[in-house]
Amino acid sequence: MSNEHAHAPAHDDDEHNPHLAHHFDTMGQQTAAAKLGMWLFLATEILMFSGLFLAYFILRMFYPEMVLEAHEYLSKWAGGINTVVLLTSSYTMALGVRSIQLGDVKKLRLMLVLTILCGCIFMVVKYFEYSAKFEHGMLPGKFYSAHLHGYEIDGLPHIFFGVYFMMTGLHGIHVAIGLAIMLWMFVRAGRGEFNAKNYVAIENTGLYWHLVDLIWIFLFPLLYLVK
Amino acid sequence: MAKVFLNGQPVEHAHEVHEHISPMSTYNAVIGALFVLTGLTFAVSFADLGPASLTVAMVVAFIKASLVVAYFMHLKYDDKYHLFVFLGTIIFVGIFFGFTMFDLKSRDALNDEQETFVRWKEMENAGKGLAVGVDNVPERRAKVLAEIEAHGGGHGGGHGEAGHGGGEHKTDAKAEHKAAAH
Amino acid sequence: MSTAVQSHDPHPATEPSYLVSKRGLMSWLVTVDHKRLGLMYLASVMFFFLIAGILAIALRTELFTPDQDFMSAQTYNQVFTLHGAIMVFLFIIPSVPAALGNFLLPLMLGAKDVAFPRLNLLSFYVYSVAAVFLIVAILTSGLDTGWTFYTPYSTSTGTAVITATTGVFIAGFSSILTGLNFVVTVHKMRAPGMNWNRMPLFVWAIYSTAVIQVLATPVLAITLLLLIIERSLGIGIFDPAMGGDPVLFQHFFWFYSHPAVYIMILPGFGIISEIITVHSRKHIFGYKAIALSSVAIAVISFVVWGHHLFVSGQSELAGVLFSFLTFAVGVPTAIKVFSWVATLYKGSIQYNTACWYGMAFLWTFTVGGLTGLPLSTLAIDVHLHDTYFVVAHFHYVMVGGTVVAFIGGLHHWWPKMTGKMFNETAGKIGCLLVFIGFNVTFMTQFFLGHQGMPRRYYAYLPEYQTMHQVSTIGSWILAAGLLWTLIYLVHSLFKGEKAPSNPWGGVSLEWETQSPPIEHNFHDTPHVHGSPYDFPEIDKSGGSAHH
Repeated sequence: MSNEHAHAPAHDDDEHNPHLAHHFDTMGQQTAAAKLGMWLFLATEILMFSGLFLAYFILRMFYPEMVLEAHEYLSKWAGGINTVVLLTSSYTMALGVRSIQLGDVKKLRLMLVLTILCGCIFMVVKYFEYSAKFEHGMLPGKFYSAHLHGYEIDGLPHIFFGVYFMMTGLHGIHVAIGLAIMLWMFVRAGRGEFNAKNYVAIENTGLYWHLVDLIWIFLFPLLYLVK
Repeated sequence: MAKVFLNGQPVEHAHEVHEHISPMSTYNAVIGALFVLTGLTFAVSFADLGPASLTVAMVVAFIKASLVVAYFMHLKYDDKYHLFVFLGTIIFVGIFFGFTMFDLKSRDALNDEQETFVRWKEMENAGKGLAVGVDNVPERRAKVLAEIEAHGGGHGGGHGEAGHGGGEHKTDAKAEHKAAAH
Repeated sequence: MSTAVQSHDPHPATEPSYLVSKRGLMSWLVTVDHKRLGLMYLASVMFFFLIAGILAIALRTELFTPDQDFMSAQTYNQVFTLHGAIMVFLFIIPSVPAALGNFLLPLMLGAKDVAFPRLNLLSFYVYSVAAVFLIVAILTSGLDTGWTFYTPYSTSTGTAVITATTGVFIAGFSSILTGLNFVVTVHKMRAPGMNWNRMPLFVWAIYSTAVIQVLATPVLAITLLLLIIERSLGIGIFDPAMGGDPVLFQHFFWFYSHPAVYIMILPGFGIISEIITVHSRKHIFGYKAIALSSVAIAVISFVVWGHHLFVSGQSELAGVLFSFLTFAVGVPTAIKVFSWVATLYKGSIQYNTACWYGMAFLWTFTVGGLTGLPLSTLAIDVHLHDTYFVVAHFHYVMVGGTVVAFIGGLHHWWPKMTGKMFNETAGKIGCLLVFIGFNVTFMTQFFLGHQGMPRRYYAYLPEYQTMHQVSTIGSWILAAGLLWTLIYLVHSLFKGEKAPSNPWGGVSLEWETQSPPIEHNFHDTPHVHGSPYDFPEIDKSGGSAHH
């Protein structure tokens, strides 16, 4: 090893870029680090949700009849509408990233608004779904009281609704966090912080949002559709 | 003085992260395919496919997820290491699922064979009719305990868990002594 | 290859060190400097090591006689649970990665900082919040489930399970953030010329650890979340009386917690690789083998968790499979131990304190590793599980492995971190006390366990008394050694000689900057042209010149 030191050619571009943090040498390095960090974060998200999916599959294995009977009480239509809404929001988010890649901040902000709107619709539908479940006493664990409301489900449906609320609830929290982040990105875009060369924050927001969509892609058929 | 390097290697250009800008037609095609697949899986759920329905639903979901990952998340054009991270994660999820399901499945078979396994399912068959609710959880718990008691000493030798050595835990741990080793 | 190993400083101290570059309490509380955060972690983990250590001494002292002395059964349960939970989640897991790793990783890579300095600061505060939750749990109604929180006891006991598990849940996020930060740092922040074959082995070990932290900890998070929900809402997924399955909890828990064992020990391996090679002044034997065996251990650690469930009601088939896979861990581990011994062979060994700890590790860790083999043997485990044999085994790995390596590493890098030299004689006395105390404490427990003494009991049969007393006296010697070490290290901060930049003649990058380093680590970005273990040729008569 030697004590020689670097004298690489200077890049005026990066030297004066206000978005370059002190400990990085180039914007490329900074962007690559941010993206790798985001992918690793997504990996942790997938593994975290995997625990709930495993709980679901095991529940299904233990009590197939009960799961099939209980899932009939979930609204296929509400789930279906939410699927379409969430897919659309993923589409608009992807277009938002594309806009800023082309340097179009105005269109980026429009796409963010559309995405946020879709996210809000998702939450509203979820709200109605949840209130219906609350009303019918289809609650998790020891709060389960559907039989007192005239719904007889054989077996142990309190576990099914426990898992249902855990999965959709954790997913819903992720949607809410995503909405807050996109709002923040909307504000930052308005301040002119992003351009065609510096948009990794938007890209990472997009990656997060697509992951939320990805999880729903599996949640929807498993909870609402599968027989 | 800027030092230009990435991954420990000096590099020629400052912008080494490849940016891929897909044409609008790609995004339109993908969202179209996603809608069609959603419709398909929705429609199929009304048909009675029996046990195949899970497989069909999962295959469709995997196709949809792949589309989102490849095109919306740009993984198809991205740094290959990101793909490695993503697929690696899926493999570890597979390990998690695989071993746990393997144990729970094979446990059932073996325990059935030895007739040592007391599962709620059987409790239920023995005395049907106890509806589940906040008011009768203690009853059901008591019922299971009584049932285990009735099975006699055959369950006494089991090791519910490796954790509790403290003597006063033993009565509480009884409920879990369902897989007793003879 | 370096031509000069004596301490030399191309840039005489014109810039202040990171310790004094900014002043005032606030400059520490909001710092994003990885070196300062490393020191803050060091202080925190040491504090919790002290707390949990006091609990351990209390446990051993209670066990001095067969009858109840000063703890009731309930108190005893609480004390061993807190000892375990604090040691695992607040001391060992963050010890080497978050304290030494934070300090050293960017220095060894030739970087100015970790990839996400602010995330690093956040991670420290997340850890602090977790600690507060655990302390609140202790101060309210305690915790008596064992650090593993097994259901259904943990869902029915009256102690502060929710508070404690929330604390552990939060600590997990701190661990994830640190791991994520380190993986990205290793990938993106290496100095020019620092390719994968030129990374110090400590970096390889920290990298493998970080990968496990990222992949395993999320599952702990969801497990604890399910446990919290189970306890508060009674969803019944882990409670057999509600239709659930308690063994399922154990699968969930150990999917994280077995890899977590390697989160604890792998960084220790990294430290030993550095200590052995630098203090024997010889190129590490089998660089690639050691580096890749770290990765191999990281991967294998994910497929062996079932050996914690051999007697829990897991299926026999799964037990056989997990037993077989567990033996596989022995292969990469043995590769490491053989490589370290081969490195020492014909080296020019400097017998100083850090090296003493390295040697102590080779003995204690090997005993710990080898006693893992009988435990992973299905039929033998049926007899040994839940006895003191298990206790002795994992203490040999965790204390004899990780803690010994950690203290050794602390001595090795103490001059770099603080700029002060400690007293070598005092250091050797401390190492001797720790080594003797540790072996007396835990070697005895192998015999106790083999004779059937079950773990986690506050009272025992009289025939075990002699060995219990030997073990207790050993624990006092160990505690004395650790206190002694603390005293002379703190003393060195005030009275120690000023450390040169490279007191041991190391060749990796952290020795090229001054002691303590400047705020941005290096005056100019270093360029790397060779291995971090290319020592200048040693005594020719040995005939083992390495390049």
